[in-house]
Order: sequence, then structure tokens, then C-alpha cells
Amino acid sequence: MSDVRGWIGERVPVSIEGIAAMSNEPVPYHLKRWWFALGGTPAYLFVVQIVTGVLLAFYYQPSPATAYESVRYITEEASFGWYLRGLHRWGATLMIAAVVLHQMRVFFTGAYRKPRELNWMIGMTLLTCTLMLGFTGYSLVFEQLSYWGATVAANISDTVPVAGPLMKQVLLGGETYNDRTLSRFFILHGAVLPVLLILVLMMHIGLVRLLGVTEMTFEGEDPAAKKQFNFFPEHFYTELIIGLTLMLLLSALATLVPAEMGPRADPQITPEVIKPEWYFYVAFRWLKLFSGTTAMLSQGFIVFVMFFWPFIDAWLVRRFKYADISVWIGVVGALTIMGFTMWEALVAH
Amino acid sequence: MSHQALPPPLDDGAPEAPLTRRTALWLTSRLAMLAGLVGGYGLFAWVGGRFMLPAHTGRLHQLFVTLVSDVPDGGTLLYRTPDGRTVNVTRRGQTGAATDFIALSSTCPHLGCQVRWEGQNDRYFCPCHNGTFNTEGIATGGPPGDAGQALPRYGLVVDKGLLYIMVPAEQLSMGDVAGVVEVTSPVGPGHDPCLTCVQARTPGPGSWGRPA
Repeated sequence: MSDVRGWIGERVPVSIEGIAAMSNEPVPYHLKRWWFALGGTPAYLFVVQIVTGVLLAFYYQPSPATAYESVRYITEEASFGWYLRGLHRWGATLMIAAVVLHQMRVFFTGAYRKPRELNWMIGMTLLTCTLMLGFTGYSLVFEQLSYWGATVAANISDTVPVAGPLMKQVLLGGETYNDRTLSRFFILHGAVLPVLLILVLMMHIGLVRLLGVTEMTFEGEDPAAKKQFNFFPEHFYTELIIGLTLMLLLSALATLVPAEMGPRADPQITPEVIKPEWYFYVAFRWLKLFSGTTAMLSQGFIVFVMFFWPFIDAWLVRRFKYADISVWIGVVGALTIMGFTMWEALVAH
Repeated sequence: MSHQALPPPLDDGAPEAPLTRRTALWLTSRLAMLAGLVGGYGLFAWVGGRFMLPAHTGRLHQLFVTLVSDVPDGGTLLYRTPDGRTVNVTRRGQTGAATDFIALSSTCPHLGCQVRWEGQNDRYFCPCHNGTFNTEGIATGGPPGDAGQALPRYGLVVDKGLLYIMVPAEQLSMGDVAGVVEVTSPVGPGHDPCLTCVQARTPGPGSWGRPA
């Protein structure tokens, strides 16, 4: 055995002990609480999305003439196609939910504060990438929602002052939805956005590793108790259990609530009731309340505030001398988002 | 999950430790976890591998070929399936039923070359490796004959004077346009790609043909 190790060691001069020490990060004891393992959940789901997405791409054909039929083939004829498509669809939904929950946990525990401001902004980039992956993903099916969702999104882009028309052309590959649009969405969904997400995720995890996880203490805790434990094997086991539980949950959802197909895209007929996926309900409702440019600019402002929140929060704390001001703003923001989402979910128009 | 220190692993050199209840539980839980991981992800890997293989639903679709009256006895037409495979459809009777016709793939089962009909020898011939097939598509010589192969045969249906071919459902998803590609004079049961030679051949009984 040592001969084999020596042989490999000569040719690949990497210190196993060094790698083990580097990966074996001591993590704060509060990570024993499941709520604090939410950061690993979207990362695990992203791996599920990559694996199932690569498999689906073997059959998917990104052109208006073939896209719908190829998704039908995957769903109805390919072996276990219904299951893999179900995993991919539910994986996307759970990934977005997990990212939002992780972000809320970071927000309400103030874990974005100095020196972790940049990692919050990197996290916001990850959220944006995830939402764009969701949007480009359901655009690929080429059902009515795909077509009209893309059309509406392109026209929303068009309302942005100055850069809007260019954004629309880049998104659609023309003035309107055309033969080249689907291949754009496919490359964005299957190559550009995942690679971008992987790179940004590496920066996110790298900064977590460099800065360490924020230590927290809870009421009733023994002050003399152990403060940290090793990432491997204990936290790694926690992540393994979460992974298996997620696979069970995804399998159950893919089987009990399978991914279906809506009517094929028809550029002549806009359906009477059309809604995006649930994670865009807030933005969709907002668009109904305000005119195009106003809605776009106000949403842009909200996203800007969310991106730079750590610095805005620091200014507010200095100004009002009240450390928990972000909690109350967060509560109002979360309730507003939930309210708008429920509102959009409960009404037809 | 237990946060207490785990029992030390058994060392080959150390005296054998008695198997306590705690050690047994520790070992069992880890074995169960390992079995779950291997079983769960192993099953998923199998599902992914199975997905990669082409699906064979066994379902057949009925596609229109031509009017029965358009094919005289002895005549042959070359039909292209939706996925681009070519089939020789030959008429061998005059009852007007599906049994009058035989539909044989023009692809040699040996290595996929296109076979051609040799009227003078009353056989299909594959130019790649000298494979030969009789009028029923059964291999009679060459590598396919040695392997006991035959030209794949397609089902045919006649309904209200229309001739239909039965093709596997998975061939439909390719999106190519199916239909009759070429027709030849009834020089034999098979299609001969040498269409320009048709004039030079001895016409058989019930000569027919479509205008070019």
C-alpha cells in the first residue's frame, strides 16, 4: 500500500495531509442546528440540477420546431424521463426556496455585517443567477408559459431606459421571439449561467472559509461548552443526511406531482390566465400595479438596496444607534414579499 | 446524530476488544448509512444510465404509404421512414389485401450498407461484404447468411384501398418527412438504386411506373 502511495506521490506531489487539514475547517457549534445547514442545501440541489440537466440535454432539441416534441419524448417515452424531468423541475423550485431561506437566515442573524459585506453581495449574485436559471429553464419547454414568459420578460427589459432595447435584442436574438431565441436560452441555461454560478459559488465558499462562519451563542447555552467542532466527519455527515433526505423528497415530489406539459406555444394566442413560476409572483404583481418604466426602475432600486444592504445597514445603525433596525426592516420586507406572492397566487388576474 | 467521541477503530495489532452494545450500534448505524448511500445513489446511477439508452416502447404507428391501386403486381417503391430509414415495399399479388405486399428494410443487418435488388439473380445483394438475401429477406449468403440474419420486415395494413406501414413510435420523434421516395418499374421485388438503368431492363409483366 505504501509502495502505491509512494509511486503516486512521486508523480502527483500533493500532500494528502495538507488537503485534509485545509478542508477540515473547525466550524462553530451552532451548526449542529439544522437551520444553519441551509447554505449546503442549495449547493447540493445545484449538483442534482447539473446531473439531471446534463441527462435531459441528451434528448432536448432547442428549436421552436422540435423543442416541445423533444420534451414530450423525454416525459412520455424515454426510460425514466418523467422521473429525471420531475427531479429537475422540483430541484429548481427547492433550490430557489433554499437560497431564499439561507439568505433570510443570514439577514436576520446579521451574518452579513463587517467583515462579510462582500460575501453578502456575492450571495445576491448567486440568487440572481439562480432566478435566471429558473426563468431560462421554464422557457425551454416551449409551452405557452415559456413563449409568453419570454416575450413579457423581453418587453420588460425594453422599458429600461437607455440599455433596454439592447438587452431585449440580446435576450431574444432579434426584435421579437424568433427561430434563434430558444438556442440562446439553452446556452444561457445549460452553459453560461451554470459556469458563472460555479465560479461565484467558489468565491462564496472561499470567503466563508477565509473569514470563518459567524459564531453565535444562544440563550441557555453552557458558556463552558465546546465552541467548535470539526467539519469532517461530523458536519459532513449532517450534509450527507440532508442530501439523502432531499433525494427522498425530490423523488416523492417527482412521483406524486409529476412535471407536466402545458399547451404548445402559440404566438397567435395569449392564454386567458398566464402566470410565471411562483418565485416571480412578486415581480409579476408589481408589474400590474405600476406602469412599465416605473415598475422596472422601482424593482431595480429594490434590488440595488438588497445588493448593498450591509453598507446601508451600517449607515442606518450609525444614524439611529439601534442595532436591530435591520430586523424590523427585514420583517416588513419579508411580509411584503409573502403578501404579494399570496396575492398573485390567489387571483386570476 | 451523536456528538460524543466515537469508539476508536479496531487495530489489527491490538488485542481484540469485546463487542459492546455501543460499538455494535455505532457499527450498525454506519453500515446502514453506507448501504443507504450506495443503494440510493447506485439506483440513481442506474436510472440515469437507463435514460441514456434508447427507449423501446414497442408501440407502432400506422403511416400512409400510397394507394393500393397505384402499385401494380411486381412493382416496388422505396419508402422513407420518419427517421430516414429506407424500406422496399413490393407488391406480389392482386387480391388487394396487405398480404399482397412485403416491406423489407433496405439496410443490410450485417454492417448497415444499403442492399440492392439483382433481378437477374432474383435476390438482394449487399455490395459491402457480398451478403445476399432472398425475396423474403432471409440471408442466403455472405456474412449475414453465416450469422443467420434477415432484412428487418415492417408490418403493412390495407384500409379502404390505402396502404399503410407500421413503424416504431420512437422513429416518429425524429421529425423528418416520411413518404415515398422513388418508384421503379416492376423488374423484381426490390428497389434498384440504378434508376437510370430502368429503361434498359427487360420489363416484367404488368409494367407500370410514374412519370418522372
